[in-house]
Amino acid sequence: MPSNTSRRAARRVIAATEIVLAALGAAIACSRDAPPPSSAELAAMSWNQIVAKAKGTTVTWRMWRGDPSINSYVDSWVAPRLKARYGITVNAVDAQGPEILNQLAIEKQAQRGAGSTDLVWINGETFYNLRKSGLLFGPWAGRLPNARFVDSSSAIIAHDFEQDPAGYESPWGTVQFALIYDTVRTPSPPRTVAELNGWIRAHPGRFTYDQSFTGVTFLNVLMYALNGGVQQFQGGFNEKKYAEGSGRVWDWLTALRPTLWRRGEAYPGGVAELHRLFANGEVDFSMSNNQNDVVTKVRQGILPTTARPLLLRDGTIANTHYLGIAANARNPAGAMVTADFLLSPEAQLQKLKPDVWADGTVLSMERLPAEWAARFRALAADIHSLPHDSLTKYARPEVAPQYHERLQSDWRKRIRANVR
Amino acid sequence: MDARQGGAATRVSSRSASRSASRSASKRASKSGITTRAKTLRYAALFALFASAVVPLALLLLWSVSGRWFYPSLLPHSLSVDGWRALAQSGQRLGVALRDSLVLAALDGVAGCAIAFPLGRSIARLRGHARYVAAAAVFAPIAVPPIAFGIGVQYFLLSIGLGSTTLGVLLAHLVPTVGYLALYFMGVFTVLDTGIEEEARTLGATALQVLLSVTIPILRRQIVEAVAIGFLISWSQYALTLTIGGGSVHTLPLEVFAYMRDGQGSFAAAAALLMIVPPVLLLLAAQHASAPLARRAVTHADVVPL
Amino acid sequence: MNSFEQVAHRGQRSRPGAGIYRWETIRGLAAALLVAAPVLLGVAYSVAGAVGLTGVGATGFALDRTRRVLSERVVWDSIAFTLWYSAAATALATAAAIATATMFRRGERADRVAHRLAIAPLPVPYVVAAAVGLLILGQSGFISRALYALGLSASPADMPALVYDSHGVGLILTLAWKEFPFLALVAFSLLATRAAALEEAARTLGANAWQAFVRITLPLLWRGLLPAVTAVFIFVVGSYEASALLGPSNPIAFPVLTLERYDALDLSQRADAYILGLIGMIIALIAIVLHEWTRARAERLRG
Repeated sequence: MPSNTSRRAARRVIAATEIVLAALGAAIACSRDAPPPSSAELAAMSWNQIVAKAKGTTVTWRMWRGDPSINSYVDSWVAPRLKARYGITVNAVDAQGPEILNQLAIEKQAQRGAGSTDLVWINGETFYNLRKSGLLFGPWAGRLPNARFVDSSSAIIAHDFEQDPAGYESPWGTVQFALIYDTVRTPSPPRTVAELNGWIRAHPGRFTYDQSFTGVTFLNVLMYALNGGVQQFQGGFNEKKYAEGSGRVWDWLTALRPTLWRRGEAYPGGVAELHRLFANGEVDFSMSNNQNDVVTKVRQGILPTTARPLLLRDGTIANTHYLGIAANARNPAGAMVTADFLLSPEAQLQKLKPDVWADGTVLSMERLPAEWAARFRALAADIHSLPHDSLTKYARPEVAPQYHERLQSDWRKRIRANVR
Repeated sequence: MDARQGGAATRVSSRSASRSASRSASKRASKSGITTRAKTLRYAALFALFASAVVPLALLLLWSVSGRWFYPSLLPHSLSVDGWRALAQSGQRLGVALRDSLVLAALDGVAGCAIAFPLGRSIARLRGHARYVAAAAVFAPIAVPPIAFGIGVQYFLLSIGLGSTTLGVLLAHLVPTVGYLALYFMGVFTVLDTGIEEEARTLGATALQVLLSVTIPILRRQIVEAVAIGFLISWSQYALTLTIGGGSVHTLPLEVFAYMRDGQGSFAAAAALLMIVPPVLLLLAAQHASAPLARRAVTHADVVPL
Repeated sequence: MNSFEQVAHRGQRSRPGAGIYRWETIRGLAAALLVAAPVLLGVAYSVAGAVGLTGVGATGFALDRTRRVLSERVVWDSIAFTLWYSAAATALATAAAIATATMFRRGERADRVAHRLAIAPLPVPYVVAAAVGLLILGQSGFISRALYALGLSASPADMPALVYDSHGVGLILTLAWKEFPFLALVAFSLLATRAAALEEAARTLGANAWQAFVRITLPLLWRGLLPAVTAVFIFVVGSYEASALLGPSNPIAFPVLTLERYDALDLSQRADAYILGLIGMIIALIAIVLHEWTRARAERLRG
């Protein structure tokens, strides 16, 4: 009989272990929660009080982490300075627009008090969706001391895809869409959308565009150019105008399909893949949302040294990227101090340097103190970058974010799936 | 007819030359031809295996130290150690990813083994239909596509505050791990001779004593093996970390994929090589273990496509 | 797996009382349920998400989304494509594993070297395999460069499109390369443990080597490999990394399509991912049932 008793005891031990281990997760799960400070609470504070509140905190910053130049700027230049000057630890985590939206929306639905995110790097439709779903903290952007230097007279900075940021996001940098070509392979590249069409027909299999963000911007550029400019799409989303405008884009692409790379049956997944195809001579053009991408990508050894950016004279899209704060942020004070530092002339100048990131500044040369303005102007132009005046000349603003969303989903349905 | 000849060739090639020497000259000539052909085939296969094992890894190594490297160059235009330097810099994402991957995988191995051990034991005692039902249930976490599972439980984990946390990712990794290891221990306990446990009990040992001083020591190797399998399951996990971790939890597979997606070849290659190191060490350790153990490991682990 | 049935009778040696037996059954089933519980939770949430009860942009109970997704051609093309490349890669890897195991089973030095080499890529994770596949098989990849160096091609376009191609050739080759070491490992062990003795017995009974191979070794390998083959197939069907890096844009691999909908800019598409996730689970379920059915049939035939 002792064997039976001990067997039962052993069983009990094992059963208990099972229960304990299974319950462990749930137990830890229910052990944390702290209410985040409200926006009213912060609004009542002076900037110095906010800085004091931010001291010793960690800011979790969701951002695209796919570029070593950007990562290096954030990790090796921004982070140590924030730590030294404000006692703030930056925790940059990888997430692009849709992922940020998923994360914050689910956190809100699950009604978590404090969320996993403080600062977010966003613009366009991400801002639109976050704002619409009440997932952003604010208004706060106007409170930043460095906001006084922002070039608010620029339409491209003052409006994010036609939306008024209304203090719910603070501008961080500006970029402009450009094609990328190789001066050796294509000494006289096409300069307009019409010329591009002719070039593609004359060089079958040598052009394509990617399936993700940059490719959609290219579709947008086409839509403007094929419909007589950006003007008619301005003033909010219009289904009829979209149907007409996008119809011309689909016709243009369908007519060119057999002369595209892989006869238009396959498209690179993202712009990095397009860069790879371009650098290895599989196609003769790449493209980027940032005209200065060529500078950093040549330095990283991703693009050949003979690569140059190219602005289509029909106009190319320029936009601004912003920083937002999550509505359920644990540390909005720290996020504000971080955003302010990123807006400082010092941080903006560093970001603009061709050997750092080459991201356009959102500051106004007129509003900056003379010594800083001089330093911005003195920044030697890289041979791979475009002159500022032609950038401005061909810059076109973004239109309502729904155009972007619809172009993406309809391209997938009609062009990619090859449905007529 | 052809089949018979081929079979004969195989047989002859494995036998001593003296026997074929006694045969007629013409036959010998044709057969040695076939033998040579079989031998050539064998060496060709050996070469293919060599190429398949060595070439990809050699290319990966070269890639990890390459700077610019464009078509049609067979060798990089320039060398660069940026990929590896990113690893060495403390606080950089690759170093952090390496640390987090190691911690996650180790915890997953140990916790997975601890949970699956009693569960597998209980399931192993089942007989008849109940056994089949249980086996099917245990198969569920192994078979479910990680993307589908990750999307399904993301909301739940976020709602209990575990979304985007390392603990949440660990729990998610534990799901397939416990599935595999429960199946593994189910096998182990089905084969285990319970006689010695019973004997110990008859001699007056308590159940705990039996567990600690009889069962666990007997199964020491299997337990170590289970921890290793659990480690590898977590180590190579991509989709669950992506969906549950929501970008906050960084592991090496995520880094390799992100670098690939973003066109950072040498970084991707360095991270990829790093990913191979622990599994290689574990595989070598397994090969140095005794032959019967290795064989048993294989027969039990044949549902774990690492 | 194989050991399970082999020793299934063993537990019955000292049959305990009926009460204990019932308790053991309950406990065993409870343990199994505990293992499967997270999946059931995932299924429950996916169903809720699919019919609009939970998730981002949920708008209340409705079945029209399910109807719409199930009527999309893209979805069915995607499923068919994923089944194709998974089956092709698994078949290729299985054939290679059987060939390698039978070719190198004599225990000579060359055989031992072959075993080591075959198993060597085992620790390579799928994402790494995919990266290497792109590096080697792409139109400007290593093979293409070697052809250029040999004067056999003049530009990347001369290299056949193996990556992003609508037949998934590059994807299949890469997946097969990744699956092969695992299947070879199982095949080696099957031949080492069982085939030798059985074949020897068959030959003493008068069968020639080829007969012994076809009648004994091959069925034994096939039956023994079946669980591993099924597991690998299911794993590949659900795996994201390789199909995302090497797959074509049309048709699009099923895991890629699932995640694409989940991350769509257009919020209204996101719940599609729950439906696609459920379809993925159903595919895995069917594969398991087919495997169990095949095994049960094989056992019945064996008598």
